[in-house]
Amino acid sequence: MRIATYTLFNTGVNNLQRRQQDLASSQEQMTTGKRVARVGDDPAAAARAERAMIATQRADANQRALDASRSAMMLAESALGEAGELMQQARDTVMAAGNPSYTDAEREMLVLSLRGLRDQLLVVANRADGVGTFLFGGQGSASPPFVDAPGGVQYQGSDGQTQVDAGQPVPLAIDGRHAWLEATNPVAGDPPLSLFDTLDRVIGELSTPGRGDPEVAQTVHDGLRDLDASLNHLLVWRARAGETLNRQDSLENRIADARLGAQYERSLAEDLDMVQAISEFQTRQTGYDAALRAYSTVQRMSLFNYING
Amino acid sequence: MSGTALMTVGVRAMSASYAALQTTSNNIANASVEGYSRQKTILATAPGQYTGAGFFGRGVDVKSIERTHNAFLAREAAATRSLASLDETRLYQLHQLESIFKHGEQGLGSATSQLLNSMSDLAARPADGATREVVLARAAELAARFAESGRNFDAIQLGVKSELTAAVDSVNNLAGQIAKVNGAIAAARGLGQPPNHLLDERDRLIREISRFVQVSTLPADDGTVSVFVGGGQRLVLGDSAEQLTVMSDRFDSSRQGIGIIEGGAPARRLKTDTLGAGSMAGLLRFQNEDLAEARTLVGQLAVALGSALNAQQQLGMNLRQPVGSVPSQALFAYGEPVALPADTNARGPGGEPVTPVTLTVTDASQLRASEYLLKPDTAGAPGSYLLTRLSDGRTSTITSGQEVDGMRIDIGPPDAAPTDQFLLQPVTRGGDAMRALLSDPLDLAAASPQTADTPSTNTGTVAVSALTMSSTPLDRTATATITFTSSSGAYSWDLVDALGAPIAGGTGNWVAGQPIPAPPDGDINGFQVTFTGVPASGDVIEVVPTTYPESNNGNALALAALRDIAIVGRTLQSDGTYAGGLTSAESWVAALADVGVRIEGAEASAAISDTLATQAEMARANSSGVNLDEEAARLMQFQQSYQAAAKVLQVAQSVFDTLLNTVSG
Repeated sequence: MRIATYTLFNTGVNNLQRRQQDLASSQEQMTTGKRVARVGDDPAAAARAERAMIATQRADANQRALDASRSAMMLAESALGEAGELMQQARDTVMAAGNPSYTDAEREMLVLSLRGLRDQLLVVANRADGVGTFLFGGQGSASPPFVDAPGGVQYQGSDGQTQVDAGQPVPLAIDGRHAWLEATNPVAGDPPLSLFDTLDRVIGELSTPGRGDPEVAQTVHDGLRDLDASLNHLLVWRARAGETLNRQDSLENRIADARLGAQYERSLAEDLDMVQAISEFQTRQTGYDAALRAYSTVQRMSLFNYING
Repeated sequence: MSGTALMTVGVRAMSASYAALQTTSNNIANASVEGYSRQKTILATAPGQYTGAGFFGRGVDVKSIERTHNAFLAREAAATRSLASLDETRLYQLHQLESIFKHGEQGLGSATSQLLNSMSDLAARPADGATREVVLARAAELAARFAESGRNFDAIQLGVKSELTAAVDSVNNLAGQIAKVNGAIAAARGLGQPPNHLLDERDRLIREISRFVQVSTLPADDGTVSVFVGGGQRLVLGDSAEQLTVMSDRFDSSRQGIGIIEGGAPARRLKTDTLGAGSMAGLLRFQNEDLAEARTLVGQLAVALGSALNAQQQLGMNLRQPVGSVPSQALFAYGEPVALPADTNARGPGGEPVTPVTLTVTDASQLRASEYLLKPDTAGAPGSYLLTRLSDGRTSTITSGQEVDGMRIDIGPPDAAPTDQFLLQPVTRGGDAMRALLSDPLDLAAASPQTADTPSTNTGTVAVSALTMSSTPLDRTATATITFTSSSGAYSWDLVDALGAPIAGGTGNWVAGQPIPAPPDGDINGFQVTFTGVPASGDVIEVVPTTYPESNNGNALALAALRDIAIVGRTLQSDGTYAGGLTSAESWVAALADVGVRIEGAEASAAISDTLATQAEMARANSSGVNLDEEAARLMQFQQSYQAAAKVLQVAQSVFDTLLNTVSG
């Protein structure tokens, strides 16, 4: 086959250009560290990387939701713990009031401290998380959920628990009515016990002057019974909050695993394998070098070089 | 016999060798000229002179200078270049789409996912102003990215137009040159010798014009070549050429097509699919298939996502005071569907189409990423139309007012004329006009108008996980009670108004994993409730009006839940449930992959067709081009011939001298 000199040179130049482009694209990949810079480079890998990125962002969002829930649950757990201690003090105070040698005036001192404890408990029950949510506001409360009202402390929040989705539903608040006002009554058949009602009743009865020892003993007995029921109920809720926190720890691990998996997947899909890239770069470099040598050798060859004079 | 004969033979041999040397030198001189065909001197033995002793040769004649030309290889080179040019042009344009279909944090997918994720943040802190601001910022960012994509699409479309215009100018210019060369070739025909340089020039022009548009050629007896485009459309005939022109698409004036102006008549459209190959065909194919489909993919996502978010937002409660006084407004505005009449449709005196067609989106989640062609069904009943979905070519027969793929099509009155055609673009420009509408954080409807609770008296383990509003409540102040009547999931519900008067009621059967009520039963007072745990007989779920929207996050949860619902391109089945469809994220990934695969495919075909074109061009050039080594050999050959001829003259001279000396001696 004959070859036109023009084509020979053109082909040579074209080949050199192509090899130079290959080398440049290898170099670009190595400097960016990305194998898939544009979607056309590898559509399947780009789609995988995109999916993985969205999964990463989702994991981040779940983590933020979890953080919100955990901060609420930690505050609620410590508030319930604090309430438990206050209740213990109240219990001790009521017990002390049962001392038959106490006069009305001496009992009044104890009642004062009971009133203080009751008010502290109300403050704890109305505690907020700092960003506008009440820890015991249930499914929402615009103002402090527990208010003093005729007939005792009333719950103004919405029943239930506000939840948020962190891969699975996690609570943002605790059902205040249930936790504080609905302890199971130790007297079967009677309505659920409100912690504040119990305290109010005990305070009222102990501060009534001129009662006999049996009456006081009855008050102390019933008071302790009902306070213990409410205290146990609060502790159950505290345990629930603690359990939620435990559950959140394992949920956090799952989120972290999902995030790591997604990041790995994304890296696998779009990042460059450096070892392979360097080896490919060297192969291309050698190819380019060989092409240059071949071109300069071939273009020197001509019959004209051998025709003398 | 005279010495003159010897002299004549010598002179002829010398001039023949000289002619051959001249041709060879010309070949050497033109070795680097693209499209130059190697020439050779055709020599012929001069007729002998008869004598009694036989025929004496009288030397050699130069008969002609011919070029080496292979018509088949030349045609092949032009045709393959045409195809390669199509692929190369389309690939170049497709690469521009990569600026819109970006993966990673800068892409539309990330903006979509981040907006929906911010709804989860809103659910975690519904009362927090800063979180609300973030949601609004994410919404604005998403709208801006969609709008930016629209602008990029427009810019790419404009680029197609200017490239087409440039290509048409080049084709017209080249066609004119071919006509001129044709004229010169016809004129030179009388000389009896081939005008090699003109023939080369014409071949080169035809190869050049093939880059822009595929042509077929037909040689005529007078030596001219006619050039045809678009399946037999005459572009050059003899020494006259027609003009191509860029014309707007018959439906969509932003899109372009090619027309031809014949003999000064008004331009006539050329069908795009008859153009075959060449860069113009590549541009049109990109515009009509790739760009149009890419636009619908983005538009479909914009409309489906925007509509789903708007609907959910509007079902929720904002924080405008007093509570519930201001209805919640949509989050986004996006492009409306359009029906474009063909410019050939019947028109009224004011130029408006006689038959108007309007599109209304009835269910954005059912919209397809496609455009549709609508025309009267001339074989069917009056008032029936054929609707062709262009993405898959599926044709259905419809009448005015019918709903197809999530849109209602209203045609006329009056009915369309038999020749009328319409292009329906339900989503094509959906993303272009996307805007975020809310600027006040209080306008975000994070709260659900209703709140579900399970009383502590329940004995089962039911806990409400979500209450989602799916339509506007019958009565915002009503209370619904769902009571499980068996432990196998049977339940009854009743709805009473604020005064305790019953409004509605019913029964159902709960299936694990399904909400209450489950599709296709619709909703109770606008809501559906999902829960975890197992209900015991007698257990109750109460749904009451939300008292404190400031701290309720029900609607934010529903907005965040859109992450996992197939809201794009699903199908409503006859039983009222949805099937198919993709989540917004999956829809974006699919769009990304679709464009990526197009580019990958175009890259492969461009590589193949370029190789084929290069090979064909090499075959052509190798057969008709100049090889300098060959010319060097010929140079020596003819130099020796010349020297030998000169020797003949010298001998003739010496013979003549000998004769003269004898005579004078």
